[in-house]
Amino acid sequence: MKVGLYDQLMRRGATRRDVLKGAASMAALSAASAAGLGALAGPAMADEALRAQILQIPGVGAGSPTDADWQKVGELCLGATKASVKEGEFAGIELTFMGLNNQNLHNFLFRGFLKPWETYTGAKISWIDLAQADYNARLQQSIATGTVDFDILEMGAPFEGDTASKGLLDEMPDWVKTQVDMDDLVEYLKPPVGTWDGKTYRVTVDGDCHTLSFRKDYLTDSAISGATGMTTMPKTWQQMDEFSKKIKGQKDPLTGLPAFGFLDPLKGWGGFGFYFLEDRASAYAKHPSDPAWLFDPDTMKPRVNNPAWVQAIQDVMDLIAAGAYPADQINADPGTTAFQQFLAGTGAGLCWWGDVGSMARTSNTSVVGDVVEFSINPGSDRVYNSKTGEWETPEGGNFAPNMAFLGWGVYVTKRAAGDENKRKAAWSAAAHLGGKDLSLWTSAYPSGFQPYRKSHFNFDEWEKAGYDRAYIEDYLGSNADSYNHPNAAIEPRIPGIFQYYSVAEDELAKGYAGQYKSAQETADAIAAAWEKITDQIGRDSQIKLYKASLGMS
Amino acid sequence: MTIQAVHDNEADSAGRAWRFGTKTTIYLLLILWAIICLFPIYWTITTSFKMAPAVMKGALIPWIDYDPAWLGWRSLGLSPETITASSTVRDEFMKRFMNSVIVSVVSSALAVMLGSLAAYGLSRFSYRFGFMKNSDILFFFLSQLILPPVVLALPFLLLYRELALLDTRIGLILLYTLSVLPIVIWIMRDQFSSIPSDLEEAALMDGLSIWGAFFRVILPIALPGMVAAFILSLVLTWNEYFFASLLTSTNANTLPVMVASQTGSQGIAWWSMAALSLAAILPLIVIGIGLERYLIKGMTAGAVK
Amino acid sequence: MSQGDLLHVVTEDDISDSRRMFGHGIVWASALLLAGIAIAQYAQVSGYADFGFQTWRPTLYAYILWSVCLCWSKVLIYGEHGKRVLFVLPAALFVVSLTVFPLLFGLIIAFSNWNLASPLGRQFNGLDNVRQMWADPFYWNALLNMVWYTLAIFVEYAIAFGLALLLNADIKARKFFRVAFLLPLMLSPVAVSWMIGKSMLEIRFGPIARLARWLGWETPSFFGSPEIARLIIMMLDAWTFIPFMMIMILAGLQAIPKDLTEAARVDGAGPWKTFWEIVFPLMLPVSITAVMIRIIFKLKLADIVINLTAGGPGGATDTVTSFIFREYRDRSNVGYGTMLAMFYLVLIVIFMTILMKLADRFSRPRT
Repeated sequence: MKVGLYDQLMRRGATRRDVLKGAASMAALSAASAAGLGALAGPAMADEALRAQILQIPGVGAGSPTDADWQKVGELCLGATKASVKEGEFAGIELTFMGLNNQNLHNFLFRGFLKPWETYTGAKISWIDLAQADYNARLQQSIATGTVDFDILEMGAPFEGDTASKGLLDEMPDWVKTQVDMDDLVEYLKPPVGTWDGKTYRVTVDGDCHTLSFRKDYLTDSAISGATGMTTMPKTWQQMDEFSKKIKGQKDPLTGLPAFGFLDPLKGWGGFGFYFLEDRASAYAKHPSDPAWLFDPDTMKPRVNNPAWVQAIQDVMDLIAAGAYPADQINADPGTTAFQQFLAGTGAGLCWWGDVGSMARTSNTSVVGDVVEFSINPGSDRVYNSKTGEWETPEGGNFAPNMAFLGWGVYVTKRAAGDENKRKAAWSAAAHLGGKDLSLWTSAYPSGFQPYRKSHFNFDEWEKAGYDRAYIEDYLGSNADSYNHPNAAIEPRIPGIFQYYSVAEDELAKGYAGQYKSAQETADAIAAAWEKITDQIGRDSQIKLYKASLGMS
Repeated sequence: MTIQAVHDNEADSAGRAWRFGTKTTIYLLLILWAIICLFPIYWTITTSFKMAPAVMKGALIPWIDYDPAWLGWRSLGLSPETITASSTVRDEFMKRFMNSVIVSVVSSALAVMLGSLAAYGLSRFSYRFGFMKNSDILFFFLSQLILPPVVLALPFLLLYRELALLDTRIGLILLYTLSVLPIVIWIMRDQFSSIPSDLEEAALMDGLSIWGAFFRVILPIALPGMVAAFILSLVLTWNEYFFASLLTSTNANTLPVMVASQTGSQGIAWWSMAALSLAAILPLIVIGIGLERYLIKGMTAGAVK
Repeated sequence: MSQGDLLHVVTEDDISDSRRMFGHGIVWASALLLAGIAIAQYAQVSGYADFGFQTWRPTLYAYILWSVCLCWSKVLIYGEHGKRVLFVLPAALFVVSLTVFPLLFGLIIAFSNWNLASPLGRQFNGLDNVRQMWADPFYWNALLNMVWYTLAIFVEYAIAFGLALLLNADIKARKFFRVAFLLPLMLSPVAVSWMIGKSMLEIRFGPIARLARWLGWETPSFFGSPEIARLIIMMLDAWTFIPFMMIMILAGLQAIPKDLTEAARVDGAGPWKTFWEIVFPLMLPVSITAVMIRIIFKLKLADIVINLTAGGPGGATDTVTSFIFREYRDRSNVGYGTMLAMFYLVLIVIFMTILMKLADRFSRPRT
């Protein structure tokens, strides 16, 4: 949905669900207008049967998909490849694929999806599997030591500053752009995301933002709502923290175990852990009039120790002091927090990527499928204006959804580009993974990926696949609202961004454990470390790239 | 007479009670520690047959607390119904498994070979390499043991890149041989010291060369020690994680790296994790059960000076 | 320590001058070749000339050739006496080549400012890293933790000794218990951190947490407070390595002649007295070796910490290795991390040398 259209609808006072109901018809409209290009309408009709078919593998409620399911989906979605590649065309070509190794997700899926592709084209792929926490370190090491030993790379947009800027990536051929139908991407994932200096590099396979997942039953359970005094989902961090503190001592209505409020992952995660502080801080720090919120765009001076960020850190510290987290939360891996705690019935809410929504209904581990609802990240009563140095209290609060990570994409490195045939093979594999139909499946089932195309927001397809209509409108709606939010906190794609994050989460861990005297001191330590990184990488170039990534130059 | 007998009996029964008490305590302690040692392995085995609800319940006993399922093994492509079908996950697993086997066996064998020779030399002859005498040479070898891996990490990365040894099994084998060589030398030197040198002298008299005497006479006697050294090396190299994660990526990845990379953005599939962990430790458990007596025998010679 | 050969080899080698010449010749020729190739490669790297080398492999091959020639020449020059050198020389060459070069590399890196993402690459920065290290409380904290971890070895030793005594007692099913007690040593620390550290110690469903609750600890928390977290790491590490000390001590116990303890019993000494006056003194050398080796392994402790706590909470469980690992991995501070590692190496070399001297003095008069 175009931001302009969205704004228009919002001004007319439409609720989110109305917007979404309208979305389907609007998609049809824009499809009709695009019919001149012949890109959307025709294939979409022909593919409808296929799309319905893959959504039945293995079917919602049938447990987690397995290797056989992935291979089947990969086989069925091979149509576009068959149109552009002759059978056996890539015989003898060997490709190396570096991606994330999440049990039964990411590379596990890619292997299954690409197996039929390998059989058809004759190419052979070997795999580099990385744990999420090792990802940034391994990538940096490859870049620094000149050991880029992979042809295809699964990578998030934030790393484009580290790779594309250094000329390590291969520009996307035009036929790939057509095959993956780039127009279908949601607006915020369109260029400049995926491009560098005007060249396109990325086959998007994922869209990212954090949304709030919250337990409805915590609002209707009489004992809990009696203690917290809340019957509607907390809208701001102030309410949320109050909720977390008041719920102490209550019992979870599902499991009977002690109930907890909001779950903040407190442990580092190779840089990814910093996003959870951002969830809190963006509400305080992202002022609608200013696209920058991490650094001062003119000097690269960190804003992480300004009053807004310090407030966010202080909030977490207060909750720790109040004992509002489950035992050992300080040592719980973030993944544990979402999937062993929240989905297994511990905690009232958390901010996470959208896949919690699809996992809640389709994963073996989840018990909260029927009692979870979604919304954009909480906002704040007051927002800090960095220009004036004053706190402001806008009417209705300040909301700034965190577009954490901008989604995974598949890229082809320069290593594959030497040989034209190999280059084509690499791009064909990438395009297969970023295919329009295949991505529908990945956004509907546990995959590690969330919806990222306009065509993913067609609720009829989801409903036919077995999803409950209201649930899916709620889940997809929270995603769409975040993607299209006018005050969304967009992540800068600058070199070394994950170094800033990893240092920050390391210092935060110390702060949360009481190694620094105060939130301010913790924030100052982060800021000092950030200044050092900026100097090491080069301040002037960082300023330029930071401004460019925010669209300020 | 009778009094005497009764008295004897009393002392006897008291002694028996005392002995019985001691025995019971000994067995209780033994069983307690055996549980401490074996329970984690039991836990790993049972977890690999659990499904999510059983994991979340912390179920303990299969068939009673929960119904065993092949979920974990299916995710490795090793369950009965997937074992015949082609499976991308099993191929990956087998690749790493073979890497682990090759790297650990070859490097341990290499270390035992080089180390035994060096240890024999050091236990029989006196050398002078520059200012270094026997004891200094021995200290030099043993001091490699205290080199913390982090010191070598980055230099090795750069060195291997220049030599095109990154992500090769050879590269790992060289490094692992280096890291277990001190242990081998330490065990084998004590082994050889405990073998009287008259044996070789007799062999030399019979016209064998030094090397002939070493291979024909000494080696067979020192074999238990070599097996012990080999097992220890195998344990250390099979389980090595730090360098493997740093120096390999695609071709030479070993099992510990695969186990450690199971954490992702979606939490942990415990059944898969357990199946994988079990597959990673099983070979050594088998070796431990089969060759345990050599380990003690090999260490015995080392223990007595 | 006597410096004579234990094994006297009488050899009458007739080594001709030409053979000797040939021996010297191959060493020098291969050394020249090595030097030539190395210089050529260096010239290519510095951009003076292009010989079409892809990697430094040719230099490696030349080095191997030189090593082989060196070994061969010993036999050529010294005959039978030279063959004795062949026992030690291969191992020595192997170790030297694999440690000296990396250590030299490491020294260069240690005095540089090197952020992996920096476009400027490595830059020499003198003593900045040393100064930074001096003022880094978290590094010193990690060093302090190592002291705690090392001290825990005494408890491990006591347990290992106890277990060895149990196994050495007159018991049934000895083989079973021996194997069972040995198994933890075989397990990979990575698997241990996952299956024990993260699964069995899980707060809600983990069996240990449930046991703790059953024992009356209402809200078990294993990694919440610094002290308990450190204790848990110590226990996990002890669990894997106690068997190692145990077999060494057990092997020692089995080597004690039976008549010695028999004699003590005949003399009327109780088990307690027998242990302290006969068994323990006899076991002292083995014990010292076992503890020393254990200390060495302990000083490298990292895998469990990296996988389980990442040093948390707040660095309470950090070991030096895991700290440097994060410095290197999370912060890409390659130069600084290497400096920390080098400093640690110097510290433990000093520490271990003192310890070995002490142990030597301590154990010798008694044997």
